[in-house]
Amino acid sequence: MKNWPWAILAPALLFVLIGLFAPLIMTHDPGAQDYGALLTGPSGAHWLGTDYLGRDMFSRIVGGARTSLVAMAFVLLAALAIGVVIGSFAGYVGGKTELVMISVIDIVLALPSLIIALALMGVFSGDNFTWMSDYWKMIVALTMAWWANYARMSRAVVVAELQQPYIEAARVMGASHLWIFTRHILPHVLGLVVVYASADAGALVLAIATLSFLGLGVAPPTPEWGQMLVDGMSYIEEYPSLVVIPGLALTAVVVSFNLLGEAFALQKVPRAVRGRFLTRKKVARAAEESARKEVEA
Amino acid sequence: MQRMFMRRTGLALLLMLAATALTFWLVTAAPGNVAALIAERAAGAGADGAMIQKIADDLGLNDPLPVRYVRWLGDALTGDFGVSIRTGKPMAEEFSARIPMTLTLLAGGGVLALTLSLVMGIAGAASNGGVVDRALHGMALVGASTPNFFVAALLVIVFSVWLGWVPTFGVSGFTSWLMPWFTIALFPASVLARVVRVNLQDTMSRPFATTGFAKGLTRRAVLLREALPNIAIPYMTTFGAQFTLMIIGAIVVERVFGLAGVGSFFIEAIRFRDFIGMQAILTLFVVFFVSVNLFVDLLAMLADPRLRRPRKA
Repeated sequence: MKNWPWAILAPALLFVLIGLFAPLIMTHDPGAQDYGALLTGPSGAHWLGTDYLGRDMFSRIVGGARTSLVAMAFVLLAALAIGVVIGSFAGYVGGKTELVMISVIDIVLALPSLIIALALMGVFSGDNFTWMSDYWKMIVALTMAWWANYARMSRAVVVAELQQPYIEAARVMGASHLWIFTRHILPHVLGLVVVYASADAGALVLAIATLSFLGLGVAPPTPEWGQMLVDGMSYIEEYPSLVVIPGLALTAVVVSFNLLGEAFALQKVPRAVRGRFLTRKKVARAAEESARKEVEA
Repeated sequence: MQRMFMRRTGLALLLMLAATALTFWLVTAAPGNVAALIAERAAGAGADGAMIQKIADDLGLNDPLPVRYVRWLGDALTGDFGVSIRTGKPMAEEFSARIPMTLTLLAGGGVLALTLSLVMGIAGAASNGGVVDRALHGMALVGASTPNFFVAALLVIVFSVWLGWVPTFGVSGFTSWLMPWFTIALFPASVLARVVRVNLQDTMSRPFATTGFAKGLTRRAVLLREALPNIAIPYMTTFGAQFTLMIIGAIVVERVFGLAGVGSFFIEAIRFRDFIGMQAILTLFVVFFVSVNLFVDLLAMLADPRLRRPRKA
């Protein structure tokens, strides 16, 4: 990580900080309605103006950052944990158990994750699930749709790592399965999966906003960017800023996470990963080559 | 080769079966709902327990899940996907009314993504590190990061509100399709442009490209005649994946522009708890995803003999 472009972390870090300290940054209560100041432009009192209910846009954007960040962190951690456990178990055990588990993973991956999350939101709207709030429904739905990618990745790493001679050496020396797994294999799995997750965070922020945009995510009183955007669509002709401001915030966050992902991809990432990561590896190779050419020139 | 084709097709069919079984299980995980909803529709608030029970019996909702799945599958194979709880019309009818709209959206978006990505990718490789290359790289990054509903909103603001060129809502004629097409094409085009760019650079450094230069070919000739055909397989595979993901774009775009396609029906079905409609649409999606992937795989196998050899497990 010596030559790693640390500056690229800054935008993503900024988002995390804004989300964490949102209550301190907000100038108004994001839910407070002021009928004396409907749809006003930027001013000293309201830095980004107000929306159709007189709510302070700046505070709602900051509050939306917190909503996205918290939901994203929950889903990412849960999906990662579930995926790593299932995937590495399948890879370590092998045989028929592995085959069955891979099949399940492949079936889940037969549909795009967002479609699965949407369908689950429909299922959770049934009478059996009234005990969950909409916010938690969304988190659970996204987690159930998101784990499979991590499981497939973890399994690939475990299978590749098990073929290394040092594992055999450890076994000969009498190491238990638990020891081999936690000491030798898990670090490799986590190393890769965490890197992937940091780049995946952008896709997840986007998914959260898309669910809310479609009216199937975070419920109204909570400030959320996708929902602010869909609310603003009704006023798009006279007040396009209601749409543009949350849209820009969302795009900025996704760009910053994608930049992070690209920076990670340009470094050497562990081998033995298929699918999406293969193209990233090619990016890496291409970048190395262009760097070499620049040095030569 | 034929055996590999058959094997791959058989696996795809199995995957379709398993995936529809999974969605069937999920969608029916809220028991009692379907009968109660139908009863509510038929009799308003006056639906009582007996009526709900009768509907459940008539539809066989009390049978064990595997029995219901097999019965559903048998009906589905003959084109009967049940009656939508929301609209009260057979799903087959909804399909024939809505699929053309979504297909037009996907086809137009697909062609646009193909054209844009090839132009951007080749232009980037031709410039190779120059201003054009870097500008296109930046554009692709932003294009792959902008939520499609925001793209749609921006297009509406610029072309409908400011310039007044196209209507904000609905489709009438070719020009009104342009905004929906561009909205769903931007993301795949950005991703694919990167694939073209990176793979072209990769192939340009291979020995056969050097031979091309040694023979005195111009850079353009090497790029287009020697390097370009070599990116066909990675391009095709990524295009297939991106094309299937465009269904998400279609869902969003149909909502924003008020198009009566499959995607908007899906969202309405979810909101209305129209589980029969949901299952039918999910089945359609599964068939679409699995068959596009299968088609791309078979094409790749046709193009690259190495992929035809059975892999060692």
